[in-house]
Amino acid sequence: MFVELVQQMLNGLAIGSVYTLIALGLTVVFGILGIAHFAHGSVAMSGGYLTFLFTERLGLSFFPAMALAMLAGAILGLLIERLAYRPVRDAPHINAFIIALGLTMMIEGINLIAFGADQVVIQTPYRGVFNVGGVVVAELRLQVILTTGVLIGVIAYLISRTKTGKSIRAVAQNRPAAVLMGVNVNQVSAVVFSVSSALGVAAGALVGALLAIAPGVGEGLAVKGFAVLILGGLGSIPGAIVGGLVLGISESLAAGFISSAYKDVIAFLVMIFVLLFRPEGLLGKR
Amino acid sequence: MLRRKLGMVAVVSLAGALICVNAQAADKELIIGVSDALTGPGAVYGLPQANAVQMAADEINANGGIKTGGDAYKLRVISNDDKANPTEATNSVRKLIDRDGVKYLLGFCCSGSTSAVASFIGRENVAMLVGNAAERAITAQGIPNLFRTRPPADFTGSAAGVFVAKRGVKTIAVIGSLDVGFYTQYLEAFEREFVKAGGKILAKETFGLKDRDMTPQLTKVRALNPEALLVLGYVEPCAFVYRQATELGMKMPRYGFTSGSEEQFLRVASSEQMEGVWDLRPTELTVEALNANAKTYVASYTKKFGAPPSPSSPYAYDQMYVLKHAIERAGSADDPKKVIAEIRKGGVPREAVMKYLPVGGAMFDVNGQAYTSNGAFQWQKGKWVYVADLPSDPAAYSEFLRSLRK
Repeated sequence: MFVELVQQMLNGLAIGSVYTLIALGLTVVFGILGIAHFAHGSVAMSGGYLTFLFTERLGLSFFPAMALAMLAGAILGLLIERLAYRPVRDAPHINAFIIALGLTMMIEGINLIAFGADQVVIQTPYRGVFNVGGVVVAELRLQVILTTGVLIGVIAYLISRTKTGKSIRAVAQNRPAAVLMGVNVNQVSAVVFSVSSALGVAAGALVGALLAIAPGVGEGLAVKGFAVLILGGLGSIPGAIVGGLVLGISESLAAGFISSAYKDVIAFLVMIFVLLFRPEGLLGKR
Repeated sequence: MLRRKLGMVAVVSLAGALICVNAQAADKELIIGVSDALTGPGAVYGLPQANAVQMAADEINANGGIKTGGDAYKLRVISNDDKANPTEATNSVRKLIDRDGVKYLLGFCCSGSTSAVASFIGRENVAMLVGNAAERAITAQGIPNLFRTRPPADFTGSAAGVFVAKRGVKTIAVIGSLDVGFYTQYLEAFEREFVKAGGKILAKETFGLKDRDMTPQLTKVRALNPEALLVLGYVEPCAFVYRQATELGMKMPRYGFTSGSEEQFLRVASSEQMEGVWDLRPTELTVEALNANAKTYVASYTKKFGAPPSPSSPYAYDQMYVLKHAIERAGSADDPKKVIAEIRKGGVPREAVMKYLPVGGAMFDVNGQAYTSNGAFQWQKGKWVYVADLPSDPAAYSEFLRSLRK
């Protein structure tokens, strides 16, 4: 029973890592710019497809291909911010909301035309299996968890230890005051979108290697990402990390110990239960 | 001089008349409608079926078309994508019948979409030939103008249950798309025979069509320590089950019902992860178990489409030849009723790829159902190897299917 419990938690940790990366991208955009970026899931899928393309066509191995795709994702993020969101930054929120929905449809459509409707699985050389006291971990899952850990570390460093990070925090806390202090809000906005999109692309690449990419998967990821955002606390980076892992592990435990047919329902019940007692989310500010 | 001129006029007139007759014969076109999953999760079955129909039509056209009396019908195939979705399939077939004037419908790889079409096709003056869709109810209703080349899932399930029990397996855990009717029917038939032989099913875990992470269910199953695993579902999720089972260190024998090709499995799992997996399914496209037609089919398909055919694709290829011979016997393609009567009476066409088991001398039984032999296949060093025949009784099953009719 104990081994099964640990195994289920480990299973959930891998998928929870992907949710965390998606939610991190969403939370930096929402927390700093106040935009519900629904197209984030589709951006993640584009990243998965790009990584697949780089591995298959350029012959790159998985991580270099993912890094290249993250770079492309960062450029895509810049374009999205400059062409889609910046023009409506001072307009009513509904404008950004409609633009987000339009972007989702557009990116999904481009993915479909460019990569087709069939599922894509990114091949990796990580096929080893480690067995520790009956608990088995696949090498690929371990790579997913470690990669997420590294990316979280990079984001934490960027936000807390760099001048750009200081500007981002200043805009998040009080935008008018940050402007008065000479912070370039346009630059912050561009950096936030490129970082967010690069994180999304990383999540898409990991999903493509761990599971598969296909049309419609992006929407599911965006839904899970927003669920994590609410569970962890809107705009909270530590909340996104904890929320992602809680959702992934809840799903796994629900499927393993209650019923696989209701794993999504049970995971969302956990979310509702948490919000009943902490409406601001696990680590959100009151 | 006059005689010479008259002679020339006669020759020119005769040539003209001959050209007219030929043009008339060549101009007679018969549209074949295909409704199948060309995109989405069902496309692994649907696209090869649509290709197979096109290939058969091209072969028939290259040999002069379908010849009836003085006429020769050249075939034109219109393929619509139903995405294995019931609403899309209904719209697709309505368009084929109402807009394109199609009288002969082929394809149909997936049960949900096919059942939706079957619910209204009995009221239409068309012939419908179903391929890979395995849901029992499709031919259990006695729809007079519907025929199916693939046997129902439970016809195979009972043979599979006997086979697994005979291999000495006493306990088994099931993981599959158990919210899909034909997998449930396969499992019911499997369980009946397996339990009769003293076996026990320890768990029945389900996954959705789009699920790709089955490690929670597999971890639960692993804790029960079954002697074997039975995996039921579409190729892609099942390939993930096989891959993730090895990643969880599960070494018990794995049996399945998927009908996927080597290429389809290898997109998800490595050959090492697939090694030893059994597929208990209709014999389908197994060259070593079939006649020379199968070898020709594989070579032609691979040459035409640049990839080998999926195991279930000949169900659609055979439909085209069933139709060809029925139209030839009926003497015309204009009246679908006559053609339907000929399909019902006819034997297995000589061009058929699959190994059919006729009931009472006809390819299709009273339910419009054809039966193929079932086989046990094992993944050995990168490919499916035909290991044994799974004994099946089509006459008894036909009676059972007839008894279900309301």
